[in-house]
Amino acid sequence: MKTLILGFDSFDPAVFEEMAGKNQLPNFEKLSQQGGYAKLEVCSPPQTEVSWTSIATGLDPGGHGIFDFVHRDPASYTPYVSILPMRKGVIGVQFVPPYTAKTFFEVAADMGYPATALWWPAMFPARLDVPMDTLPGLGTPDIRGQLGVGTLLTSEDEVLKKTTVVRLTPAGKDCFTASLPGPQTQGREGLRTISLPLSLDVLDQNSARLTVGPQQFTLRLGEWSEIVELRFKAGMLFNVHAITRFIAARLSGVIRVYVLPLQIHPLHSSWHYASSTSFSKKVWKDVGPYLTLGWPQDTTGLEDGCINDEQFLNLCQSIFERRIKILDYLMNDFHEGVLASIFDDLDRIQHMFFHNRMDVVQDWYKRLDRFVGDVSARVAEWSGKYRYLILSDHGFSNFRKKVHLNRWLLDNGYLLMKNGGDDLTGVDWGRTTAYAVGLNSVYLNIAGREGQGIVPAENVENLLDELKSKLLDWKDVDRTSMIQKMRLKHETYSGPYTRFGPDLVVGYAPGYRASAETGLGKVPATALEPNNDHWGADHCMDADAVPGVIFANRDLRDFGAISFRDIPFLAIGKHLDPSNLKPPSQMTGEGQKDLEERLKGLGYL
Amino acid sequence: MNLLRSNGKNTANQPVIVVSGLPRSGTSMMMRMLAEGGVPIITDEIRRADGDNPNGYFELEVVRQIKEGNFAWLKGANGKVVKVISALLEYLPQEYQYKVIFMERESKETLASQKKMLDHRGQNSRLSDEEMEQQFHQHLAAIKPWLVRQPNMEVLYVKYNTLLAEPEPYCEQIAEFLDVPLNQSRMLAVPDKKLYRNRVVTER
Repeated sequence: MKTLILGFDSFDPAVFEEMAGKNQLPNFEKLSQQGGYAKLEVCSPPQTEVSWTSIATGLDPGGHGIFDFVHRDPASYTPYVSILPMRKGVIGVQFVPPYTAKTFFEVAADMGYPATALWWPAMFPARLDVPMDTLPGLGTPDIRGQLGVGTLLTSEDEVLKKTTVVRLTPAGKDCFTASLPGPQTQGREGLRTISLPLSLDVLDQNSARLTVGPQQFTLRLGEWSEIVELRFKAGMLFNVHAITRFIAARLSGVIRVYVLPLQIHPLHSSWHYASSTSFSKKVWKDVGPYLTLGWPQDTTGLEDGCINDEQFLNLCQSIFERRIKILDYLMNDFHEGVLASIFDDLDRIQHMFFHNRMDVVQDWYKRLDRFVGDVSARVAEWSGKYRYLILSDHGFSNFRKKVHLNRWLLDNGYLLMKNGGDDLTGVDWGRTTAYAVGLNSVYLNIAGREGQGIVPAENVENLLDELKSKLLDWKDVDRTSMIQKMRLKHETYSGPYTRFGPDLVVGYAPGYRASAETGLGKVPATALEPNNDHWGADHCMDADAVPGVIFANRDLRDFGAISFRDIPFLAIGKHLDPSNLKPPSQMTGEGQKDLEERLKGLGYL
Repeated sequence: MNLLRSNGKNTANQPVIVVSGLPRSGTSMMMRMLAEGGVPIITDEIRRADGDNPNGYFELEVVRQIKEGNFAWLKGANGKVVKVISALLEYLPQEYQYKVIFMERESKETLASQKKMLDHRGQNSRLSDEEMEQQFHQHLAAIKPWLVRQPNMEVLYVKYNTLLAEPEPYCEQIAEFLDVPLNQSRMLAVPDKKLYRNRVVTER
């Protein structure tokens, strides 16, 4: 077995088809013309971590247990990030793998083949019991154990939406000092943030010298530093190592230096960052440093105005190039097994530019096409049978309006608040029948399941039907349907985790998406809000509205519709869940009887 | 069971070769081509040649019982070819590897040929040609995606009409697909346009 998989997060079939029609993507088009292209049916909801996990396992969320970016604890209604679960153990709080369902990587490894997954979402922390090599993708935390926000060092008082702001203190002419906040440790007096002193000497309008710990380097205006290794002293014998990059965003007037989120250092991680540990270290040493955060393309820094479009794109470009270099290095020694690499820069770029700078987006598709041309040329030199797949986890669409679903539930009498409060802590659970947490999830407040549930089991079905119908009828002011499909849990999911999933999966129409506030269970003042954010496009809509793509070095035309359930078979020749493969006699319905009657008449049955 | 011809090679690890398709889609002709090419065929000759198939059916009666779990005949079938109509493919056991040569023919021609055969057998069709054609389309639309997803089946689709017109490229493809040496000149002699009696005439 020899399989190479390239994953292009958010690669959209409509953009592809339009550009291919203008001969702008010749290398993808070459695969397409050989029959190796199809739209990919993605799982519901089409969220990155859900979809890549479904692709890896061939299972819908009911089979692997990741239903949404945000889940809730039914007992307390507390939202939490589904791909970063923690459990208390004898040695304190530890991250645990977000799912345990078998992936095709694991099955390939069980068959004795080497298996490698690069930047695949929801693979942090590494599962050391699975003999495969990983560098994890989305869901890999920063050194604080969070999804990561950067720090702005500024000479002026500023308040930003998400980014941590640290004031640069004047320390002489054109000199400043600051403390870079790092990891937190648990002390006798509670959580303590460990900081690292730094100093900044502005040399001229275009350069500055930054001193952090024992290191000193020059920052050029608007250019990213190389990856810098930092060491935070957490105790007498304990250091926390981190990596980051700096950029001098402004060196005249108000001085602004932006620091990427502090990320796990693969050579010194106290968590199981990757598997095997020697693999991540070998890559670091042989290829060079690489960022480790699950979302290293810092959209938050861009949204908060800490960096500009060009600086953001340069960051994406450098991440992309380093990942290509790592894949290239691994391909040199790839003789058998499965090697998969996900490139997620396109997703971040589309979130930021799909709605207003399509030239930037199209430029990235062309970049991916050139990359595919290089890889395809290399693959063509392989001898023997091999599989070559290019996939995306979903497509993309505009995100013009934010839906505050809990406000709609409140306005329609399903959710009631106590006095004050704008989140789930202020909900009057004794009178609430439904609530939203996550980007596509609605839960009923079911008696015996939720901590303060009131909906009796016998009312569940009617309530679901009512909600489904009302939400589908909900129209925007211009009579546009905002929700194109409402999916019931038991119609959508199968598998042992189904009962933990949301009762209703909300399939927004293109142009609409749940607000970030809805994701966290908040209840803002209005049900609908224009989206004027830099984050102007998305994919957390109905799965049918944002299909993904699949390209392959085989003819895909006989497959009919191809879905995430087919990927393990296409990757390693095995179905991980054959129960979904219905035999033809079960697909032809009543006609089967007529067919059999004819065959009997002809003497074949 | 009578093995008409054997190439004498060790076949234990080879896949079972299956000729499939709708009845009257050219499966018997393909069986005969493979037999001429040197592939050992599995048949019991219970169903004898007749006016519908003057050169014989090349069938194995017991194949009809696979739906009931009768697979004993598959023991020793590796490297040999057997005819299994498309509606029975799903009952082939998973533990064998198969190379399937799937015959495709213009549906109107298949229907016309079937209708004649039904007449010869004294059978009536309850459904109109249009209704039956629709059923066949549904059946084939279901079977192709199913076949391509079977880890133990490789499939080569052969168009009956093209095969009759130009058999040579197909003979090469079949040899490559089966990965066995075949006597292609003998195979080429099989397609007989005289037996192409139920053709669809396209109006110009």
